[in-house]
Amino acid sequence: MVDEKTLRDAVKKTVGRKDVKYVVGYDKGTTGFQAAPTFAYEEKDAEKFVFNPTCVNNLAVYPMLEDKPPLRKGEEPDTRKIGIVLKGCDSRAIVQIIQEKGLKREDVVIIGIPCTGVIDPKKLKVKFPGQHKSVEVKYDNDKFAVTVDGKTQKFSKDELMPEKCKECEYPTPIIHDILIGKEIKGVKKPDYKEIEGFEKKSLDDKWKNWEKEFDKCIRCYACRQACPMCYCKECMVEILDPQWVRRSVNLSENTAWNLLRAFHLAGRCISCGECERSCPMDIPLMKLNKKITKDIHEMFDYKAGVDAEAKPLLAMFKPDDPEEFIL
Amino acid sequence: MSGYILSKDNLPKFITEIMGKNKVFAPVEVNDETYFKEIKNPKDINMKYDNSKLPPKSLLFCQTETLFKFTPGTKVKIQPPDINNSKKAIFGIRPCDAKSFFIIDPVFKEDFEDPFYVTRRDNMLLVGLSCTNPYPNCFCTSFNDSPASSKHVDILLTDIGEKYFVEVNSEKGKKIVKSSLFKPATKADETKKKEVEKKAVNSITRFQKIDKIDEKLDKIFENHFWKEIADKCLRCGTCTYLCPTCHCFDIQDESTMIEGGRVRIWDTCMIPEYTLQASGYNPRPTRANRVRNRVYHKYNYYPKNLDVIACVGCGRCIEGCPVNIDIIDVVTRAGEVKP
Amino acid sequence: MSENPYQPNLATIENIKEEVGGERAIKTFRLKFQDKNLQNNFMFQPGQCAMVSLLGKGECMFAISSSPTKKGYIEVSVMRHGKVTKALHEAEVGDVVGVRGPYGNNFDMKGWKGKNIVFIGGGIGQAPLRCLIDYVLDNKKDYGKLDVIYGARTTEDISFKDEFAELEKRKDVSVHLSIDVKEDGWKKFVGFVPDNLLKVKPSPKNTIAVTCGPPIMIKFVIQNLEKLGFNDDQIFTTLEMRMKCGIGKCGRCNIGNLYVCKDGPVFSYRELKKLQGER
Repeated sequence: MVDEKTLRDAVKKTVGRKDVKYVVGYDKGTTGFQAAPTFAYEEKDAEKFVFNPTCVNNLAVYPMLEDKPPLRKGEEPDTRKIGIVLKGCDSRAIVQIIQEKGLKREDVVIIGIPCTGVIDPKKLKVKFPGQHKSVEVKYDNDKFAVTVDGKTQKFSKDELMPEKCKECEYPTPIIHDILIGKEIKGVKKPDYKEIEGFEKKSLDDKWKNWEKEFDKCIRCYACRQACPMCYCKECMVEILDPQWVRRSVNLSENTAWNLLRAFHLAGRCISCGECERSCPMDIPLMKLNKKITKDIHEMFDYKAGVDAEAKPLLAMFKPDDPEEFIL
Repeated sequence: MSGYILSKDNLPKFITEIMGKNKVFAPVEVNDETYFKEIKNPKDINMKYDNSKLPPKSLLFCQTETLFKFTPGTKVKIQPPDINNSKKAIFGIRPCDAKSFFIIDPVFKEDFEDPFYVTRRDNMLLVGLSCTNPYPNCFCTSFNDSPASSKHVDILLTDIGEKYFVEVNSEKGKKIVKSSLFKPATKADETKKKEVEKKAVNSITRFQKIDKIDEKLDKIFENHFWKEIADKCLRCGTCTYLCPTCHCFDIQDESTMIEGGRVRIWDTCMIPEYTLQASGYNPRPTRANRVRNRVYHKYNYYPKNLDVIACVGCGRCIEGCPVNIDIIDVVTRAGEVKP
Repeated sequence: MSENPYQPNLATIENIKEEVGGERAIKTFRLKFQDKNLQNNFMFQPGQCAMVSLLGKGECMFAISSSPTKKGYIEVSVMRHGKVTKALHEAEVGDVVGVRGPYGNNFDMKGWKGKNIVFIGGGIGQAPLRCLIDYVLDNKKDYGKLDVIYGARTTEDISFKDEFAELEKRKDVSVHLSIDVKEDGWKKFVGFVPDNLLKVKPSPKNTIAVTCGPPIMIKFVIQNLEKLGFNDDQIFTTLEMRMKCGIGKCGRCNIGNLYVCKDGPVFSYRELKKLQGER
């Protein structure tokens, strides 16, 4: 249970600092089952900040999305810090980015939220079809309390949580400057049952399954944009000369795009699930990412985004690295 | 409103009649979501769908279109495209989606006529299906439209219980109702249709304030408001790709050493590359520039150039936005911003 | 069925002239349509543009830099910048390109009859002005006093050098060249184009000023023209945006509700002032 007053006070204090540009957190959404990212530029903006089970978005994406238009003559770059409200899983993105030197630790002020799980908006949508007004969802001990049209219903967490919360190892942010409430110890472990099941399928079946999924892709690149780890200055698909992936939307190019992205996230994906949540065509992208995460864990005993001091997986070499796959 | 009646028992026969003359695209349910797909059997159609995941726009304005093929290198040759002019029909299109065609028609029809779009449009029959159960984020009534309007279709079916009330709106439509499956409607049927329509209109609960919005937007172009709105934008293209009236596209050459094509692909104004010039200069360098351009294109530039707001109120961009940029809310608030 | 407006006509590169070398190289390509009929009937006005493509590389919009009074070919002057222009710079005489157009509006050559004209260009911005100057000189009796003000970063960067030399020899045109930074042996103006304009000080009386160049230059040139007494209807410029279709459909070249490809590229300062939008 996160005390929103403590959260707002922390936001107020942070945005009040001279060396902080703004704080990004959550506000009540205008519609549906999810909170919306919001920005505090001054202390009074903190009043709109909330934290509840609809706070799904990984806000770690925002420092990497900042617009940097060319400076005018004599203009100094704004080097002030960015304050971010982060859940445990989200914090792994910042850790990983720091590891990769995409950000410096001192570039961000982290308001950490020990999180007991959020809801999956898609699961709630099925329970309340036709609901457009912003729905109130609260933590109620080990349940979610959903209030629609004045009536409150309780659901078990497993019923509404996304898969990532069911196997959350890091409920408390790995790094933080302010922690809202008490640390929660992670007791769950990643569950690879579904992946293991998929691995057992024939190559042909697997391929057919992914063909069906990639065929749906409309190449809006929402997966890339929602991903805090997709922060390349120029994405390979925007490069025209040479053109790695054609702009044509067809199974071949869509497959190239989705597989290339998955590989570019190898050893970097921190399993926040934002790509899959943002995909307007419901492509199960986390299945790809999770398979790679599993392989990397098994082969290199490595987890992304848990140690800011560690080296990124692809930037290090150990003599005992497995090499069966090297021909 | 003189109408016809089609009994529900005769619906499959009617669809089969259309299928005899046209390739038919209709709402089909796949994993709980509805898509417009070519149907082989009338049973495949989902007559109760609320909103299709993607608008049927791509049936006229394909996401990927080869404008012509060529042989590159020293022996350059151009091979004109083969533009398919076969008869097609969209069965079960919603009045809002049908209106979107009417909105983008002038873009492709006027000045330099686009033969790809125009050929498909001219050969496309639109059998509308009134929306009796609007989606939570639907707001077509904000534009004085009705979820049961026959204005932009050839014929419109409205589910009035055990039968469909049928309205005819074009010469193509008139030919269709000559079939013996259609019987003249009674006054009672007509009243029933009006009741169904009223119920649908009343079930729309979201409204966008668009009174004099084009004039209001003229005065707040430089307002800080646009930065506030765009701060949370991820600059993904979801809103534009799901939009039935977004018509922007990119053109690229895709070729090997021996053959190639000039290809047109849907584009999105949300990405910086959209306006990035080769010199490195970008006139719309920030998300605020781009979000503002999207709103202005629909609510200011379109009304100025073509006297219509380029939004039909389908709500897909609201549904699809990962960060809750809500066009109803954005435009309504924009109208309240003090210049 | 209507014609396919996206399909270009094939043209052969007849001549390539290197205007500027180095990093920001400029070349002028003389193009002749393969279809003789089309070549003879290709009509355009000064200010209009054409889409030129290398098949397999892509398409770019360029101002037609030759005058419609010069028959039998069209020319485009291209600075090496992106994918297509780089490929064009590697092309050779005899290579085939695609051309479609002409597109956009044009300078009001009829309306300007009897008036003096000041041409103010910078860098590659001279391309549309080159067409205009050539057109005016070929119809000299229709127009009054002519001033050509042009500047580049360095002497190396001056485009159309030999053509400026020819112009300087003529008695019916005054040419005022400048470079941004001092160089040995340069006896003409040193400084930015807007400053050279103030030094030349053309009279606004019965005069039209046409300026084309980088956006920042245009901004200050217009400011200085106003200082000299030019009003909004006497100042004209051409604008640039990224383009794909060239025919007002693909969406990206809008400034406010106007498309530069179709409603531009020529705008009077009066029109420009009314236009609210990024450029």
